[in-house]
Amino acid sequence: MTECYYISQNELPAVLETVSGLMDVWVPLKTGTHKTAIEFAPFTPGCRPIFDRQSTSSPKSVLFPQSETLFKFRYLKDESDPTRQTVALTDLEEIRPALVFGLRPCDARGFLVFDKVFLDGIAKDPYYAKRREKTVLATLACKTPDSACFCSSVGSGPGDRQNSDLWIIPIDDGFVIEALTEKGREVLPRFGKPAGESQIKQAEKVQKHIDGLTVGKADLTGAGSEFTRRFTDTEFWRDQVSKCLSCGMCTFNCPTCYCFNITDDAHGLEGERLRSWDSCMFNHYTREASGHNPRPEKYERFRNRVGHKFSYFPERYDGMMACCGCGRCIRNCPVSMDIRQIVRSLKENADV
Amino acid sequence: MNDKNKIIKQTFQKVFDDLEVVLGWKQGFDSLHMTPAFIRKASDLDQLVFNPQCVQNLSGYLFSTLKAADPEKQGKIGICVKGCDSRSLTALIQEGLVERDRVYIVGIPCEGVVDVKKLRNLKPSLTEISGITIEADEVVIEADGKTERFPIADVLAHKCLQCRYPNPLIYDALIGEPVTARVAQDAARPAVEQLDALSLEARRNFWLTEMDRCIRCYACRNACPMCVCQDSCIAETRSPKWLSQRSDISEKFLFHMIRTVHLAGRCTECGECMRVCPVDIPVTLLMEKMNCIVKELFDYEAGIDPESKPPLQTYDSSKTGI
Amino acid sequence: MCDTTINPYLPELATVKEIIEETHNIKTFRIVLNDAEKMKNFTFESGQVGQLSIFGVGESTFVINSPPSEKDYLQFSVMRTGEVTQRLHQLNEGDQIGVRAPLGKGFPLGLLKGKDLLFIGGGIGMAPMRTLLLHTLDHRSDYGNIKVIYGARTPQDLCYGYEFDKWREGGADLVLTIDSEAAGWTERVGFVPTVLKEEKPSPDNSVAVTCGPPIMIKFVLQGLKEMGFADNQILTTLEKRMKCGIGICGRCNIGSKYVCVDGPAFTYDQLKDMLPEL
Repeated sequence: MTECYYISQNELPAVLETVSGLMDVWVPLKTGTHKTAIEFAPFTPGCRPIFDRQSTSSPKSVLFPQSETLFKFRYLKDESDPTRQTVALTDLEEIRPALVFGLRPCDARGFLVFDKVFLDGIAKDPYYAKRREKTVLATLACKTPDSACFCSSVGSGPGDRQNSDLWIIPIDDGFVIEALTEKGREVLPRFGKPAGESQIKQAEKVQKHIDGLTVGKADLTGAGSEFTRRFTDTEFWRDQVSKCLSCGMCTFNCPTCYCFNITDDAHGLEGERLRSWDSCMFNHYTREASGHNPRPEKYERFRNRVGHKFSYFPERYDGMMACCGCGRCIRNCPVSMDIRQIVRSLKENADV
Repeated sequence: MNDKNKIIKQTFQKVFDDLEVVLGWKQGFDSLHMTPAFIRKASDLDQLVFNPQCVQNLSGYLFSTLKAADPEKQGKIGICVKGCDSRSLTALIQEGLVERDRVYIVGIPCEGVVDVKKLRNLKPSLTEISGITIEADEVVIEADGKTERFPIADVLAHKCLQCRYPNPLIYDALIGEPVTARVAQDAARPAVEQLDALSLEARRNFWLTEMDRCIRCYACRNACPMCVCQDSCIAETRSPKWLSQRSDISEKFLFHMIRTVHLAGRCTECGECMRVCPVDIPVTLLMEKMNCIVKELFDYEAGIDPESKPPLQTYDSSKTGI
Repeated sequence: MCDTTINPYLPELATVKEIIEETHNIKTFRIVLNDAEKMKNFTFESGQVGQLSIFGVGESTFVINSPPSEKDYLQFSVMRTGEVTQRLHQLNEGDQIGVRAPLGKGFPLGLLKGKDLLFIGGGIGMAPMRTLLLHTLDHRSDYGNIKVIYGARTPQDLCYGYEFDKWREGGADLVLTIDSEAAGWTERVGFVPTVLKEEKPSPDNSVAVTCGPPIMIKFVLQGLKEMGFADNQILTTLEKRMKCGIGICGRCNIGSKYVCVDGPAFTYDQLKDMLPEL
């Protein structure tokens, strides 16, 4: 371990408060009428971040807000010919630096998928790029996987440090924090003091324990060819997807889901073009202006979702899954759809 | 409980040849979760269970399952319902969305279901649940080798704490003995009363704060048995466009207001909307308030009598009150 | 800010130079980028598309159906179907729109060079092929025989009627057909797949390009296969609901292929390997 700092649980709130004066600090907080939801929200003095459980929805909204203005437009009179109109466009507002404190390795892996799509394609997405550049990801090593988690099944794991700037290991009474990137190194000195030997030893022990965990029972990688083979097995898909409600919960909570819609809002002569979260589970997702819909039935849409995550994305990106195994789609699903079970059924060639 | 599971299975087995599919509950991905089961083979009936974790309202599947059913065979849909579920089923029949003679209803008197989110919040490290029993004032949970008791308010679903109809109102077979309702027939709804006691401004602020969290995932709408027009929902139509895609309180508020008005006189308070909300918005309270207003104006509640016509879907020129 | 080279979502502002009414529901728009330098330097390949923006309504995808040699304007043919196309049809010459182009992959010209070409189109299906046809006529000596079979329901449903003589003069053997007899019609009568069979094109050293209504494509493909055309001798373009046009928003996928990145031009070779999700 290189360059580690130690901060006690008691000292952490004050540090987060100081840092929030310089950048937007996002932490997982309890919310809701019965306080049963845990969402990433801006740190405010007195708030109590929850680190013992995964958040209900992913922190993707920090880099990929649910709705965001792509540009504004205004119709104006053409000064050279008042009988005609011109259009003025304004785009890209300033982005404040941000720190996401307490996301999990699965969330960081979600951002890895986003990075590939938004930064490494035929065109770079400047909105995502700007936010990504200015955001520090401080990831909590995960000691508490639950029955819905399966990060190890998709090529990741509770100790996966990939794509994080700071690595936080929880020990008795506090956290040992390690810088993994230059961005992380810049922020690290704010968090307490350099870690002492005993703290580092404790952290190493915890890390070893986490590295030894296998989260998830089956290997869900390499399901591409089986998926293709069973694509037209309508009975299988109809059966697996019967209970799905075709809402958008899984996609909205998912750290790797990035599909979006582009719509215009106009108020008289001005307005904006918005980018907003969309869901492949919605009926209208692929409905064309003519009325034709390539996926009118919910089993077709769910099949596409499974395909995208376990077959199409790996095909385009060297075998990487567009799934981080966080289990939110299973845990939060109103009817407990289980994507692991479906992919297992494909791989094992039988209905489980 | 085990006996109940057996009786449910046997009841369906007797009529299975007439059934296209049986909708029930089966074990989910862990011991805390049960999940809807679509049984198409008699040998799979063994999977059916009933326990306080059978939270889903299966009536919501009837409309689409009937539409997709084999028109030549005209088979029936077998379905398990708790008291609250049976009200949704009845309401669907009232509106002509489900035909009574196309369903074989197995009614199960219910003492309450757990709110899985509340339970996970209370006991985040709960792993293996071996049994949950609902008593008058407490919920007994056997898990991880221990037995613990909790006040019902801490574990039971919101709707169960004010349940007036624990016994199915419509059924072809009843499993087990009828149970006593927790509250009287004319009991008020505590949460609604609390909100009514607030000033209009305070009430408005309450709802704006709650709805600000909404992510318009439409889980509430899709889980609702009465929201049958999901695929053409006014919240998502492109032409005309009623709601902007902007993640703004004005759009979220409008969506919920539209839905509340569309469900006036139709909602049976099954509580699914509140259960499924990922950001814990008490959506059901809006419908509960609407139902109070409808009761006051029309002396009517949805989903009680399959023969009665919903007042907002009929026009009676003799009515002077409105 | 507002630099379209940095921001692929930002449209270029353009002016509608000319509008041609092709049929009762199809209009052709010739547009000019407001930035004269950019217009002069605009290059694209036949088959690539553009997203036309009506600010306040939205964007829609259309093939750039002018040939790459046309430097004065970019041409798009629009069928009135939904919200955006409805508003496009209400535009007048001089109105402002936005353009994001070129997007996608054009027709694989390497496959066509030196070959006999067969264009088979129906209705507005002629639009994506027009750009390729005119490009090949621009470079006539690079190709063998060029035959066009173009059909529509009635004479009034044919697009580009004002150009047919020019196509013939340019070296294309143009076979026009309508579904049933009409007064004053002197060309062929019959569905496009039927006329295709009657023409009996040889597959030797040939490439066929086809675009049109799905039902026409189905029978044309059948006919071409029966006549001995191999899978990599048949090209077409696909349509899907598109939003970003740059392979990010996820919507236009057919399996692992994105119509906006890997298409919209595809060979039948590629198409038959795709998952059946058209």
